[in-house]
Amino acid sequence: MSSQSVITVSNLTKFYGDFKALDSVSLAVEKGWVYGYLGPNGAGKTTTIRTMLGLLKPDQGEVQITGINPTKDPVQALQSLGYAPELPTLQTFFTGEQLLDFMGKIFGLATQARKERIKQLLDLVGLKEWGDKRIGNYSKGMVQRLSIALALINDPVVLIMDEPTIGMDPEATAHFRNLFTTLSKQGKTVFISSHLLDEVQRICTHVGMINKGRMVFDGRIAQVLETFTQQWVIEAELEEVTKTMVSSLKKLDCVEDVKVDGNKLRIELKEKKDLRGEISSEIFKRKGVLLSLNLHKITLEDAYLRALKGGQ
Amino acid sequence: MNALQRVAVIVGYEWRRALAKKWLFALVILAVAIQVLIFVVFNFLFTNPPPGMPPALLEGLEQTKPFMWIVEVLTPQGFFMSLIVIMIAGGSMSEEYEHGTSDILLSKPITKLEYMTGKYLGGLSLLSFVAALTTILGVILAIIFFSPQESLQFLPHVYLAIVYSNLVFLSLAFMFSEVLRRTTLSYFSAIGVFIASLVISGVLSAVNSFTGEQLYLDVSKWLPNWGASNFPSFVMGKLVDVPSNPFISPAQGDSDLLLAGVFVAVYTVIFIVVATIKLVRSDVTKKTA
Ligand SMILES: Nc1ncnc2c1ncn2[C@@H]1O[C@H](COP(=O)(O)OP(=O)(O)OP(=O)(O)O)[C@@H](O)[C@H]1O
Ligand SMILES: [Mg+2]
Repeated sequence: MSSQSVITVSNLTKFYGDFKALDSVSLAVEKGWVYGYLGPNGAGKTTTIRTMLGLLKPDQGEVQITGINPTKDPVQALQSLGYAPELPTLQTFFTGEQLLDFMGKIFGLATQARKERIKQLLDLVGLKEWGDKRIGNYSKGMVQRLSIALALINDPVVLIMDEPTIGMDPEATAHFRNLFTTLSKQGKTVFISSHLLDEVQRICTHVGMINKGRMVFDGRIAQVLETFTQQWVIEAELEEVTKTMVSSLKKLDCVEDVKVDGNKLRIELKEKKDLRGEISSEIFKRKGVLLSLNLHKITLEDAYLRALKGGQ
Repeated sequence: MNALQRVAVIVGYEWRRALAKKWLFALVILAVAIQVLIFVVFNFLFTNPPPGMPPALLEGLEQTKPFMWIVEVLTPQGFFMSLIVIMIAGGSMSEEYEHGTSDILLSKPITKLEYMTGKYLGGLSLLSFVAALTTILGVILAIIFFSPQESLQFLPHVYLAIVYSNLVFLSLAFMFSEVLRRTTLSYFSAIGVFIASLVISGVLSAVNSFTGEQLYLDVSKWLPNWGASNFPSFVMGKLVDVPSNPFISPAQGDSDLLLAGVFVAVYTVIFIVVATIKLVRSDVTKKTA
């Protein structure tokens, strides 16, 4: 693991009773990365995160946050960390300001510093008018926003968020995605678990995939697409599909296979190239009438689904 | 930030949490109401003693008058105070687990031990506050209605004795709160232990009065409520020279005072140690509510 790593997880194994929730999970996140932690329900994302924070004790392996083990020295390891838990429930008897203030105190922020920071954060997460209202009266999305503000109270170096945008409206989702990108540009390290492949593809620089407690992939976003892409596909819709058309397309050098579904063709390419020109001229040559023609590059979703299949 | 400051932050948090609990207020108000009721009854007896009252009782009543502040101060002890401390501590740890707020608190730069110490001291300071409230109220009522009052110099002693003796059920409920991690279960268990020991000691003392066997009383001293409810009155019995009468128990032997003091300490230490071991050894439980 690189000495640059802000988060280092090595060979983490965690049992719940007899159930192996994490099986030798390793990952490393470096400064300035936005790391997307992907996996289906029950894969072990939350378990990994809660172990990283020292909330769960690993049965094997070790975690280091900025080089410090949070189980051994939580005070040092967590001083410059922000954490927004999955589906947070906050202290309902506090107002947003009071809770932020209380958390600021735990981090040892001075009174004046807390006051300024709270104002700034409430503004940042769009709860300016709600700071003096009791959290018990907040909506789900507002609690989520406040939870992110709480994670930022100490101006953390590392930000760990477990599905932070779940329950937010589209506008808020977009706002927070931008925020996470901005934070990483400021040099913060961001670790996000997510179901939303689209979100990860948009904001993350790196991605880790976990399935059934095992890491199935860990690397740059571009690399994941590369690794799990076997081919690009062109989808063509024609007025009429004839057998000769299909067989002549199949004979093309660049084509791997052609599948027919009514008047639609799924043309699997041998190379990762935009070959729509070649395909359409072949179709015209055979007097076919094209209704639509789309190049289908692999998305993170395809890669993800393939990675999950491979990991089983 | 040093450890002490972090503990202090959690103590403040515990106060804030308790203030949000209406039933705690209700219980304290009830305890105070009972104190006032006792006054009204005694005040009535003092001012117009019922004609048929036996002379021995009348004399006892008259002897009790200068010590009414002690009767008052000790009224909530044993029953109401035990319930109040159970209510204070029984949800202290478990509610955080149930609501998932323990994740938020323990992912902060604070050790589990600091967190627990803050929670426990928060409960202890709440107990001290409630005890101060009932003590002061008792003394004020006694001074206003039954002056002159004697031996008031021992007020701090009785106050400290009350706080100390209530550590037993405070710690018991705190332990259940951490070990069971379910608030309702922890309340029921702590109240269950409390009521069970009340009932058992009642039965033992009844058997004792039938058989005259001292053994039954000796056994009942091992119950957690014995030291907890009797220690303050033993202390006062030792300090204040109250004549034996039906309203104030006579001075107890030194051995009982010492035994009660030791039992309170031993029970408290055991409960705290069990809670600590559970907290340090186990994972932080995920939200369940
Ligand atoms: N306290 C627990 N006791 C027993 N099993 C648990 C416990 N917590 C989680 N599990 C199990 O461990 C596995 C991993 O759970 P985890 O919450 O880490 O998944 P996840 O990837 O975060 O899922 P999701 O996307 O639904 O949040 C699941 O099979 C879950 O049932
Ligand atoms: Mg999860």
